[in-house]
Amino acid sequence: MTLNDYLPLLVMMVLALVFVGAAVLISRIFSPKRPTVEKSAPYESGILPETEPAQRFPVKFYMVAMLFVIFDVEIIFLFAWASRFNDLGWYGIGAVAIFTAFVLETLAYVWKRGALDWNVKHRARYMTAADREAA
Amino acid sequence: MLVNQFLIVAALLFAMGTYGLLVRRNTVMILLSVELMLNAVNINLVAFEAYLRTSEAIGQVFSLFVITIAAAEVGIGLAIVLMIFRNRQSANVDEYNLMKF
Amino acid sequence: MTFAQVLTPPSVGWIAIAPEIVLGVGAALILLFDVQYKPKRTHLGLATAAIVATAFAFAIVQYDRVQTLSQATADQAADFVATAFPFDAMIVLDANAVFGRFAMLLVTGLGLAAGWRLFERLGARAAEGLALMLLSATGFMFMASSTHLMMVFLGLEVGSIALYVLAGITRERTESDEAAIKYFLLGSVASAVFIYGVALTYAGSGSMNLLEIQGVLARNIFTRPAVLLIGIALMVVGMGFKVSAAPFHSWAPDVYQGAPGGIVGYMAAAAKIGGFAALIRILFTAFPDFISTWGPLVAGIAALSMLLGSTVALVQDDIRRMLGYSGVAHAGFILTGVVAGGAGTGEVWFYLGVYTVQLVGAFGVVAAVTGAATSGAGIDAFRGLSKRAPFLAATFTVLLLGMAGLPLTSGFVAKFGVFTEAWQAGYEWLVIVAVLASVIAFFFYLRVIVAMYMEEPVDEAVAPPGISVRASLALASLITIVIGIVPGPLLSLAGEASPL
Repeated sequence: MTLNDYLPLLVMMVLALVFVGAAVLISRIFSPKRPTVEKSAPYESGILPETEPAQRFPVKFYMVAMLFVIFDVEIIFLFAWASRFNDLGWYGIGAVAIFTAFVLETLAYVWKRGALDWNVKHRARYMTAADREAA
Repeated sequence: MLVNQFLIVAALLFAMGTYGLLVRRNTVMILLSVELMLNAVNINLVAFEAYLRTSEAIGQVFSLFVITIAAAEVGIGLAIVLMIFRNRQSANVDEYNLMKF
Repeated sequence: MTFAQVLTPPSVGWIAIAPEIVLGVGAALILLFDVQYKPKRTHLGLATAAIVATAFAFAIVQYDRVQTLSQATADQAADFVATAFPFDAMIVLDANAVFGRFAMLLVTGLGLAAGWRLFERLGARAAEGLALMLLSATGFMFMASSTHLMMVFLGLEVGSIALYVLAGITRERTESDEAAIKYFLLGSVASAVFIYGVALTYAGSGSMNLLEIQGVLARNIFTRPAVLLIGIALMVVGMGFKVSAAPFHSWAPDVYQGAPGGIVGYMAAAAKIGGFAALIRILFTAFPDFISTWGPLVAGIAALSMLLGSTVALVQDDIRRMLGYSGVAHAGFILTGVVAGGAGTGEVWFYLGVYTVQLVGAFGVVAAVTGAATSGAGIDAFRGLSKRAPFLAATFTVLLLGMAGLPLTSGFVAKFGVFTEAWQAGYEWLVIVAVLASVIAFFFYLRVIVAMYMEEPVDEAVAPPGISVRASLALASLITIVIGIVPGPLLSLAGEASPL
């Protein structure tokens, strides 16, 4: 396959660019344009927006997503250890065991506290007497 | 190896982060700006590591730690933003003005 | 990249990090135990106190070990290096680190006792608050004991992230969530600035180990001085944020005012100890030969902090905000000792030790008067306090006079020490500014004392504080008076605490 074989492709790309460019340019040249302040506002009538509109905030999966991000990123330490596995020997295994124990401890804690339960109605199941007293 | 281009990219990224931090009003965007700053540091660290060729690869290891800590920070930050959103239905930093000089 | 080279596992020195291990594992166990067995909050508090006490015992063992190490002979040199610089010289076991642990653990214990009411209010989240407190203490202790910029950064983040959460731990109050987000945003920017400085220092010196940096710079083989100087400046700025020195102080008054009353004393004191410990370590271990370069920068920050902190504190009507600005001024006073270089380490540690105890005690009184889970503390709540709660008024007076630096209190000895060091280092103008600032500062402390003793009560009676609050406040005042009269032992202990 030589460079010549790419020529049709190149012609095709140039044609596409010319066509698109021409379409945009022609409509811009021939279309009437009389912009006013009112017309360029997002809403033609009513109050001018001062801030961005409030966006929806799906809270339900937030906790799980956040925990996922954190646990996910913690794993890069295992990658660093794996790349030097042979040199580090038992020292590395011991260090990673301590690290993993702490990660698992955190997982056990959030599990037991009900942070992994997606169903909000189940939350009460994890509350203690002290929680209800505080709430 | 030339290291300048990496330094310039990192400095620009850090400056962009600082700019975003100062002008953005949505707290989530501010968090993203802080992430930009941390990642600018990561670029610096890895570039210096490759440039200096130190034996213990400390620049790369440090950048791993920075990545993890950035994740932890953003987790805590989003949790705080969520708490604020529940309390006052807004995530705009302009409205955090209960306490003033 | 030299990946072909064989890595050898570093030496392990358990005793060098024993207090940190106790606190970290203790925090994890408290969380697990709480979630499984749901113990009473009082038991959790006692367990936390026991963990802090165990860590303190290990710190005493470390002190003993450091004494032995200081008498090591030449033929014990190899053993000395392995013991004093374990984990590939990332951690150091020296008097500086041990003194930092003493101060940090004392503050943690006092803060736990003085703020106990808050943890009772937290309900089932009491264990979370206690664990976060222990974890932040772990992080800040690592800042005092690390000789590697990566460890300094990790300690800083572990400590700070726990404090961000603690600032907003009473979730439903808007002042508190505002304090948390302000602390979080400015704190994370400070961290980013700090590691940018670390990266530039690494570029300029080729190492992140503070001892190695010092060795490289002493041999004068570095080739990028501009990069290095910017790196040092950025690290100083990052730490300036943490210790709330002006002009990086803007978070401090808001956080001190908004965060829950029971924890704010600990937060303020712990961040100061950690920040100054790392600053001492970085500046005195790695850059002692650059003192003519960083000295003026630190002196400028110190002068600005003292003047701004004491003048703005004069016009505050909220006691917590006033203490926040006075904290800015005190950061300036401590930095006055830092400009003297390695010679001033003892005085800086002495000041830090006595000031943080006063700080925890003062915020303990404020929490006892205006509530441990609320924000703000208007001066009206303190009018006529001597009639409503004589014990609280008396302890508050002692602690405020200690902060003001009146003779016969520990604050006077501390101020005298850092001023002398700065004078001898040739910063006469800074000492004059500092004396001026202390005089201004005296007025706002006096204003509170006058309000407590000479004005008529506005609010009704104060709920009597619990036994733990009473004990911690009495201890803090006692320390302030006793150290003020007999400063010798603590001065000599702090004097030993220079970095290896």
